[in-house]
Amino acid sequence: MLRANYFDGRSTRIYAVELSMVSDDLVVRGENFDFKFPFSQVQVDERLGRAARRLRFNGGAFCEVSDLVGLDGLLAMTPHQEGRIDRMQRRLPTVLVSCLAFMALAIAAYRWGVPWAAALGARRLPASVGKTITTQELKILDGRILLPSKISLERQKALRKQFMSLILPEGGVPNSNLLFRASSLGANAFTLPDGTIVVLDDLITTINNSQQIIAVLSHELGHAHGHHGLQLLLQSSLIGTFWTFYIGDISQLLAAAPVALAQAKYSQELERQADDYGAGLLRGNGMSPQLLADVLKKLTELHPSASKGGYLSSHPSTDERMQHLHFLAAHTSDQ
Amino acid sequence: MDNTPEQLRFTGTGSEYFGIWIVNLLLTIVTLGIYSSWAKVRRLQYFYRHTELAGSSFDFHGNAVKIFIGRLIALSMLIAYNLTIRLQSPLVIVILIALAIAMPWLLRNSLRFRLYNSSWRGTRFHFRGSLSGAYRVFLLNGFLALITVYIMAPYMHQRMKAYQHNNSWFGRTPFTFNARAGQFYLLYLMLLAAILVFALVVGLAGIGGTFIAITQMKSGGHPVDPRTIITTLVILYGALILAGILIGPTFHALITNLIWNNTRLGEHRIECKMSPLPLMWISASNFVLVVVTLGLFIPFAVVRATKYQMECMRVLPASDLQEFAAADPEVVGTVGEEAATAFDFDIAL
Repeated sequence: MLRANYFDGRSTRIYAVELSMVSDDLVVRGENFDFKFPFSQVQVDERLGRAARRLRFNGGAFCEVSDLVGLDGLLAMTPHQEGRIDRMQRRLPTVLVSCLAFMALAIAAYRWGVPWAAALGARRLPASVGKTITTQELKILDGRILLPSKISLERQKALRKQFMSLILPEGGVPNSNLLFRASSLGANAFTLPDGTIVVLDDLITTINNSQQIIAVLSHELGHAHGHHGLQLLLQSSLIGTFWTFYIGDISQLLAAAPVALAQAKYSQELERQADDYGAGLLRGNGMSPQLLADVLKKLTELHPSASKGGYLSSHPSTDERMQHLHFLAAHTSDQ
Repeated sequence: MDNTPEQLRFTGTGSEYFGIWIVNLLLTIVTLGIYSSWAKVRRLQYFYRHTELAGSSFDFHGNAVKIFIGRLIALSMLIAYNLTIRLQSPLVIVILIALAIAMPWLLRNSLRFRLYNSSWRGTRFHFRGSLSGAYRVFLLNGFLALITVYIMAPYMHQRMKAYQHNNSWFGRTPFTFNARAGQFYLLYLMLLAAILVFALVVGLAGIGGTFIAITQMKSGGHPVDPRTIITTLVILYGALILAGILIGPTFHALITNLIWNNTRLGEHRIECKMSPLPLMWISASNFVLVVVTLGLFIPFAVVRATKYQMECMRVLPASDLQEFAAADPEVVGTVGEEAATAFDFDIAL
């Protein structure tokens, strides 16, 4: 005998009943009534946690059963089969496997899916998008973070001439804009979304070697060639969208935080790609990729702390990059 | 006859819900989102069936196929909207007007869908708000709030809740709502005052940061030290999080209490005693734990928040809770509640 509450579907009145199986019929026995129902016409609710389950009859009437163990005993006497998803939700192995599969999928999407989609998108976007963003960025940076360059105009002209005479691996000359600026950001150069390359004064004065400066510029041309600026922007919006879907219920603010974290890791990968492109470019112009490694060495000696790298830094560790460039340089001399 | 207050109870647990959540999340990903409608039904059923009043649980009857169709229509509307914007077509205005006209109708349908598919002890809830009412509340009042620079927003909120609660039924028993617009204004004024205090703090930090930056720029023509900018940003972001933790839950608790304490089901009163402090603690600790576990704490967080909020509610029965009668099936048929499911938008009002 299994205790249950019977509801007729027409009012909220509770009828305490007892349930049992007699051959193929479900017998519902209450204080004032007693009826049989062919079990094949009874709809049994899927199990959900420890919630009471319902046995539904035609016309909206049902029995609510809180004694889940007792109900299992009753159902064992019937042909009833528990749903597949119900079993998946309850069994520890399937929950663990789902958990691992979910994490594996998330990591794969994060590691390969997002960069792939963003790179594809960056290549497909019209050039005007990159131009608009670059104009906006420069408008914000100029006069605040970036100030007019103090490098002599002849020096700028000479560098620009050398830069423009480079032959790109894919053929043709660079079509990137080259800008010179002063900044407290240190010895650095960076590429904006439309391929414009900004060289900071400190980089030129610190390196003070035209060939090595050209090596840095070929690395930057790698960023321009790969549309890395746009790719990073697209990646941040993809990651942002995912987190809003995943976590948005809990906190909108939270969803913004992981974007910055993800960006750092992605940009390391892009630095490696730019190194490879720069090495190829230098080789194609009769120079050695070793030049880029030399620059890194010089900069490391000046700022030892910058070489540590790690997860949160936007560049891979300098040692790692130098080793890779040595390897590329060794490869060239063989040919 | 037993007239003691009946508290709502939530019996779900995080560990149980975790299994349901992760399996359904994975199925949703594997089916490229198609399964999400079925996952939604299961999620709502989990929460409804673990919510008890007077020893009986609630139930959700929504049909996943209908939710799926509704989502397809919503998605195609979204795509049409995005395409016209992308192509900078003058059609944007037409689509925006069409959306504005469709929205009240969609919201009313979604209210109907949600209530019609909810039941307690086998008796269903119903929403019987008129279409003209929906246009008045969602379109006309929204427009009025906009042109009065949101001075009318609390009034609009009160009208919206009145439309929602005054047109809700449990079987043949109507809900009634009697909170006045003045009470909404009082709470919104408190919210405004709290936000102003925070804005003052944040503004001072911002002005201070900018001042330091300008001084740096003037002395010696150096560009701005990035560290000044970062410090200013940290203060701003910190203040925002703090505001979210303190102001958000407090306002939510007070407005929820106001709404439910002024809602009745027939002769039965409803009481809601949510207090800001536990709500602050729950949202702040959920926030931290969700971050630390990269989201795996989400099902536990949702269960914790639901349990607290549900168990703040009590029904003060005026008579026996066994006396409710279900609506006449013929009435349900003519109103078309069963059919009104082409759109299911989960918009929290």
